Amino acid sequence: MAVAQNVDMSFKIRDVIFKNPVLTASGTFGYADEFDDFTDVSSLGAVVTKAISMEPRPGNDHQRIFETYGGMINSIGLENVGIKRFVEEKLPILREKHIDFVVNLAGKTLDEYVSLAKVCAEHNIKAVELNISCPNVKSGCLEFGTDEVVLGKLVESVRNVYRGCLIVKLTPNVTSIEKIAQASQQAGADAVSLINTVKALGVKLEFINGKFKKSTVQGGLSGRAIKPIALGAVSRVRQVVDIPIIGMGGIYSLIDIFEFFSVGADMIQIGTANFTHPDISGQLVDELKNFMTENGFSTLKELKDNLRGEY
Amino acid sequence: MIAQKTKKIQKGLVNELTRVSKSLYLIRFTPHTPVDIKPGQFVSVLCDNLTLRRPFSVMDYEDGVISILFKKKGAGTTYISNLKQGDEIDFVGPMGNGFNIERKKSLLISAGVGSAPVFYLHKKMEELGVENFFASGFVSKEEIPSNLEFDMVTTDDGSEGKKGSIVNYVEGLILSFNPEKIYCCGPEIVLKLIVQTAEKHSIKTEVAMEKVMACSIGVCKGCVIKIKKDGKIQNATVCHDGPVFDGGDVVWQ
Ligand SMILES: Cc1cc2nc3c(=O)[nH]c(=O)nc-3n(C[C@H](O)[C@H](O)[C@H](O)COP(=O)(O)OP(=O)(O)OC[C@H]3O[C@@H](n4cnc5c(N)ncnc54)[C@H](O)[C@@H]3O)c2cc1C
Ligand SMILES: Cc1cc2nc3c(=O)[nH]c(=O)nc-3n(C[C@H](O)[C@H](O)[C@H](O)COP(=O)(O)O)c2cc1C
Ligand code: FES
Repeated sequence: MAVAQNVDMSFKIRDVIFKNPVLTASGTFGYADEFDDFTDVSSLGAVVTKAISMEPRPGNDHQRIFETYGGMINSIGLENVGIKRFVEEKLPILREKHIDFVVNLAGKTLDEYVSLAKVCAEHNIKAVELNISCPNVKSGCLEFGTDEVVLGKLVESVRNVYRGCLIVKLTPNVTSIEKIAQASQQAGADAVSLINTVKALGVKLEFINGKFKKSTVQGGLSGRAIKPIALGAVSRVRQVVDIPIIGMGGIYSLIDIFEFFSVGADMIQIGTANFTHPDISGQLVDELKNFMTENGFSTLKELKDNLRGEY
Repeated sequence: MIAQKTKKIQKGLVNELTRVSKSLYLIRFTPHTPVDIKPGQFVSVLCDNLTLRRPFSVMDYEDGVISILFKKKGAGTTYISNLKQGDEIDFVGPMGNGFNIERKKSLLISAGVGSAPVFYLHKKMEELGVENFFASGFVSKEEIPSNLEFDMVTTDDGSEGKKGSIVNYVEGLILSFNPEKIYCCGPEIVLKLIVQTAEKHSIKTEVAMEKVMACSIGVCKGCVIKIKKDGKIQNATVCHDGPVFDGGDVVWQ
């Protein structure tokens, strides 16, 4: 195959043109400037911010991290600075550094999501991702992502006040992710992203002086271990919606990205891999570009069509 | 823009790996690009294909060689203990704030593997001519790292130095040495007792804390502790805001 002269890796959702399909996942990249020491953040398709709520949240007590075979469980509990401080302190940095970003929103009530979306609209924030799926917070979040009627109402209400690119982030912890995806599309979402973390429990046992001591961390599993779950979810959702899909879950390499494209993802997000390899997201942008150049793919669509067997 | 900055992720080559006590190992490695490391800062080491990096305090940095003193515990430290001279080591760092060295008569106290960052602090203080006294506690003689020297050691079983826990000697050391400041690293319970004793004598403390980490850069909020700041109890990350905290600020669990 010929070498491509100009590679266009961009992908458009609503009015937003993402310069490439490699995004970083919410909660794994902070508010972006923290990664300056490791990678050229402005080269990324976009950075999805840590979930932001109306008021700052302190997050959970007790141990928050538990490493597992091929993954990790987190129980952070949506600790964040709140939308006011985000807008005052972080937004100017993102803009000044020309970092493309998506703001991940987490509300406890429908009204809170609407208020958050209004603030984003006021500040001309181009894209938001609704976190309807965080498994760690006991109140609120879980219900939105698990009931398609409640979710439909939520997405519709946000849609009414927010004209930018509206992404709904789906949880795998449901009986039918297809139904939730369809409800999101019907209610006016521009794209769905999936998957959020998988509900899990980490158990550590120690045998001390004849007695077992047990400690546990209940939270969401992420990392390599969840990739097959994520691929399955993307593949099933692809069958039922027409809007773009942003796939994630255990992506660590270019091959992983291709696997997600092959089952229907249009863009992807890198999460846990950023912790272990803080330079990986920028590297994958370069690798993707090189692969496309060397193999004569001049657009993302050509690459994806090929991956899906549509030559 | 970014290219001019030293990236905080890089590789190095292992110079040597030695066992320095029953459960402690010393690894010395040379990063490809020299770095600046303050006592109390740490590096996070990639361990094969484990999901998370492992954080370790820097025990020494001299002539471009980083030393880490580590205790063999689980999969990560077992991996590191099997590295050989010439092997590649992938690390992130230096991370964290580090100790704040002042021109004050300082008492340095550590327990077990916590003696690593305190040793580096002691070394820097000697270089800077800051008067200090370095005491460390261990379980027994065979746990004392052979590569380190202390002004005083204690062992729980009395097999070397003074008998009993290091915390039992803190009050005495304060009275005899009369420090203006105390620096410490060790298990949380030891730190708490040292800080409480120091507070009785109105002496300022700096403590190096530990917490399970995922990112070691301050983004995941996995490693938070509670501290008192501006009259409020707030979260602070051990990896970014710490690992060294003013002992008086820490809200002990
Ligand atoms: C700032 C900092 C400095 C440290 N400095 C040193 C040092 O100089 N020498 C040394 O021997 N150890 C040090 N530790 C502890 C060291 O990180 C752990 O012993 C090591 O991660 C254990 O890994 P493992 O796979 O062998 O053990 P496992 O118990 O199998 O590890 C399981 C998980 O728990 C985490 N973990 C286990 N123990 C600790 C701990 N005490 N603190 C934080 N995370 C832990 C691991 O990183 C891993 O994610 C430090 C920890 C921190 C946070
Ligand atoms: C520590 C941590 C914090 C997270 N915080 C958020 C969050 O605030 N909002 C959100 O929508 N997803 C959050 N997630 C989920 C990730 O964005 C992502 O969906 C998930 O980790 C799967 O991708 P991965 O396997 O590549 O990590 C978090 C994940 C981790 C590991
Ligand atoms: S380990 Fe992620 S914030 Fe400290």
